[in-house]
Amino acid sequence: MDGKYGLERHSADILVVGGGIAGLSAAVSIKETAPELDVLIVEKQTSGYSGKANKGGGVLQHFDLGRISPETFVEYHANAIGCFLGDQELMAKYVSMNNIMFDKLVQWGARLPKRPDGSYAVIPTGPMTGIIGVDLDITLKVRQTAEKLGVRILDKIAVIDLLTAEGAAAGAVGFGLLDGKCHIFSSKAVILATGSQNYRIGPMWSSGRGDGIAMAYRAGAEMRNAEFGNFAQLVKIRSHEEVVYGENYMYNKNGVHITKNFRTSPEPDINSNAIAEWYRQISADLGPITLKQEQASGGGLSGLWDRPYGQTFWRLNQESADAVDTDMEVCPMLIGEQSPVRVGHDMMTTVPGLYAIGDVSYCGSAAPGAVPAPPGRNRGSGILNAVFAALMCAPSAAERAKSGKAAEPDEKQAADLIARMYAPLLRDSGCPAKDVIRLVQKAVGPMEQSVYMSAHRIETALRYVEKAKELAGTMKAEDFHGLLSCHEAQAMVLSAEMQFKAARLRKESRGWFLREDYPDTDNKNWLKWIIVKNQGGEMTLRTEDVPYEKWPVKPKI
Amino acid sequence: MIDTRHKIQFDSASCVGCKLCYKACFVDVIRWDEEKKKPVFKYVEDCEHCFYCASVCRKGCIKVLPDYGSERLLQTFDRYL
Repeated sequence: MDGKYGLERHSADILVVGGGIAGLSAAVSIKETAPELDVLIVEKQTSGYSGKANKGGGVLQHFDLGRISPETFVEYHANAIGCFLGDQELMAKYVSMNNIMFDKLVQWGARLPKRPDGSYAVIPTGPMTGIIGVDLDITLKVRQTAEKLGVRILDKIAVIDLLTAEGAAAGAVGFGLLDGKCHIFSSKAVILATGSQNYRIGPMWSSGRGDGIAMAYRAGAEMRNAEFGNFAQLVKIRSHEEVVYGENYMYNKNGVHITKNFRTSPEPDINSNAIAEWYRQISADLGPITLKQEQASGGGLSGLWDRPYGQTFWRLNQESADAVDTDMEVCPMLIGEQSPVRVGHDMMTTVPGLYAIGDVSYCGSAAPGAVPAPPGRNRGSGILNAVFAALMCAPSAAERAKSGKAAEPDEKQAADLIARMYAPLLRDSGCPAKDVIRLVQKAVGPMEQSVYMSAHRIETALRYVEKAKELAGTMKAEDFHGLLSCHEAQAMVLSAEMQFKAARLRKESRGWFLREDYPDTDNKNWLKWIIVKNQGGEMTLRTEDVPYEKWPVKPKI
Repeated sequence: MIDTRHKIQFDSASCVGCKLCYKACFVDVIRWDEEKKKPVFKYVEDCEHCFYCASVCRKGCIKVLPDYGSERLLQTFDRYL
């Protein structure tokens, strides 16, 4: 098993895969409650810099809990966003912990803006919510806190598969991105904090490549709400810069305000109906679609508070985009945000001892219901969902690590997984990873296949996925960078397959999920979750009734 | 994004070898030459033009030049391929 690149073995009480804001928050929380535990974070790039928390808008969702109760927000969310697929109890917990999470982040080194009276500087975004800005060094600050508490961190190691013993998580295997060395990890619990699936399309979102989804799936964990992995956003057609809230100001070539065709009352964020309207207009030769420049603000929140990193970051992005954008013509771009790893309220997956937190399990947790991962029509929820999931998982993972015994690694299982891991490198010839990724992108990219769906168009997408799947078995990596790309491509194929197979099954429209051939929400037949599971190498799908009877806000049937 | 033609300009003379650009790159475009204490822009075709490397460089050594025309919108209409 030593192979040609060398072998290093590691053991820890708890292994955290992924050093973004979720993984770091979990590691810190565990050390706060159980300092004696040995916690190891393994990150494929550099922890503190990787992930999405330091590349996005840098905003935290705020609830004024003196004015609204968690139940009030849950009622609004169930009707307007989650559309009764959401776990209302978990959403209520998320809201009720809002102020605690701000205090935690400050305690962990994040700098949140305050007003002269000492209160957080909140900018209202709606009747129930607001946002607080945070600088883009937030992840790095939490890494520094983690290191102070004794968390061990290994960077530039790509974890590829999970080890199990008697059906429970027992560690992982991976390779060094710089030297190719094989790494075997043994632990009493494993926490996946590896982000969502974004298919390498939107530049800012490109760190989500579905590694953890694929690992959990291969290890036998159930997936839930995989069909809600199709978030899309309007972008300017030259710079591909996203125009947040641009859907409010869409005009066709005749100067008609087409937003009125799909939006009759104020909504919290972009809806898939905006994407469908764009598609219908272009199909009817009524394009191009442009935004009224004077109305569309395009983000523009920096400058409202002092964010040295964020301001430099956005200035560089904006200057570069401004150099090519000559008008406000827009087109949708798939973002993805598939996050289907099924977890309970303690963030444990259906594999004992395997936890999944942050963007890898947002939809899988069922908290958000019928909507893709953060932002999930709920701006500012991305970072806070990661922190929330970390806080929910820490006591359970710590308890398991304290009471459990480390299982002896299954050498045969490890050897098989390691052989699979290096296969693209050792193959004599084959196609590059990008050939596979290109096919997956042909499936998920077009809006009429992934967002405004129909049975025929889902089948078209699945044909591309099948081709990609065949080709994926022949990928050839030239070096370790290429080897990682091959495994990411494999993960993209898996994500796309479960997304379209689940979409084919859901014969209705609900929340973000939109089918042209089934335009109505069907509460009689489809108050159900679709569960995807790997059974002996076959992707199986089944439905499960949503237990809405036990939650306060009931759907109309 | 895949198959892009983005470019990165680097002012080696001003670089102080702080390694922050290497750490900031979340897609493994930038490697580090331990001997010369300088970044190596090894996989530029995978650059996502997040500008994070340029944002953290205190000496302003890095300029990311996106070739937006090499990025795909992936729609089925000729105008937005």
